[in-house]
Amino acid sequence: MNRIDDNELILYHYRDGLDASRIGEIAAALAQSPALSERHIILCSTLELADAEAAPQPDEGFERRLWHMLDARIDAASPARTPWWLPLREWLAAWSLPRPALSGALLVVFALGVAFYAGRHSAPAPDVLAQERANAMATRVLDAYVAEHLRATEGVLLTAANSDSAPLQAGNRELAANLLDSNRLYASAAARAGNTRLADFLRQLEPILIELANRRGDDDIQSIEGLREYLSKTDLLFQVRATQARIDAAGKRPVSI
Amino acid sequence: MDQAQQWVEQARQGDRHAFRRLVEAQARPLFTLCARITRDAALAEDAVQEALFNAWKHLRDFDGRASFTTWLHRIAVNAALEQLRRRNQREVATTDLGDDEDDGDFLDTRVDAGPGPEHHARSGEIAQRVRAQLERMTVLERSAFVLRHHEGRSMEEISSALSLNISACKQAVFRAVRKLRGALEPLR
Repeated sequence: MNRIDDNELILYHYRDGLDASRIGEIAAALAQSPALSERHIILCSTLELADAEAAPQPDEGFERRLWHMLDARIDAASPARTPWWLPLREWLAAWSLPRPALSGALLVVFALGVAFYAGRHSAPAPDVLAQERANAMATRVLDAYVAEHLRATEGVLLTAANSDSAPLQAGNRELAANLLDSNRLYASAAARAGNTRLADFLRQLEPILIELANRRGDDDIQSIEGLREYLSKTDLLFQVRATQARIDAAGKRPVSI
Repeated sequence: MDQAQQWVEQARQGDRHAFRRLVEAQARPLFTLCARITRDAALAEDAVQEALFNAWKHLRDFDGRASFTTWLHRIAVNAALEQLRRRNQREVATTDLGDDEDDGDFLDTRVDAGPGPEHHARSGEIAQRVRAQLERMTVLERSAFVLRHHEGRSMEEISSALSLNISACKQAVFRAVRKLRGALEPLR
């Protein structure tokens, strides 16, 4: 029989990492050899030492803090509503097409699709009227998503400027990166729809979203102060809210065509 | 489909309530595991939070081959190691599983082992020595030992959780036990 060393005794103790025949040999040797048996007893005593230390337990507020932080991070990481085009975009992305261009095209295709559908189903109204009504409907669809996008952007800006929680900031960075993608998409769609004012405003948001998406995890208070100063100097938060309110108000007006 | 599988399915659809039901019984055991690895309550709490957040984010990747608890357990081990890596990159970076190899026996029987550990465990002195020895271990030695001894995980599972080969896992456990043995030395 091969000599049984301490490492094998450890594996034997845990019945792990040895084949059945070797386990049998060691068991037989333990029964026959008092010296080996004594080494095994010392091993057991040593391992019991690790059990002498009480299992660490969290304090009473653990669960409350855990769920509070977790909910906040999940909120920050989840868009308020999944855009309708996202699954389609993901599916098409799998075909290695350029995402921003493709996403923009998707919106246009959608808008044109709506227009075509409405045009076909608006008889006996004149074609021009049906087309205009369809365009208005497409604009409203776009507006609804842009308003949602601006609400999420406002949340990201507020969190970045007011929270010093590292986990929350990590979630916020991720959200900013996602928003950056959709911001380009909406700016492009707004430009195509002739809404240059909205397109320009969305383009103006891009640098700050890039900055927030690429912030380091260990940003100090000076960096947060710098961001607050920038937001205050540029009135960006006010502009985000104002644009959002304008779009919301437009969405509530009846279509006048 | 059992209850846990149902919650997994619902959580995958974005049902946060189902996710909470799925993981809330695991939060405290995961804290114990992470605290044993990190030796720091604050890091352990951050690791549990990170683990649950990652589980939520990557629930779609859970393929059901292992149990959900095993999957979550593995995420928590990695989250604990990540917390340590962030706190002290040097500690993990200098961990070399190849060095400190010592094939010599350490369960020396020539010296009287003295009173049993049950007796010593009651004393503050031995608890302090055990703590010191556990802290002397490298992160990987301690993680492998915690997973094998306290969590009852097989070498194969440890190997998967720590992304090491089985031989490296065994060596880590051997060295951890050798260091723990050091806690008894002055008492013999």
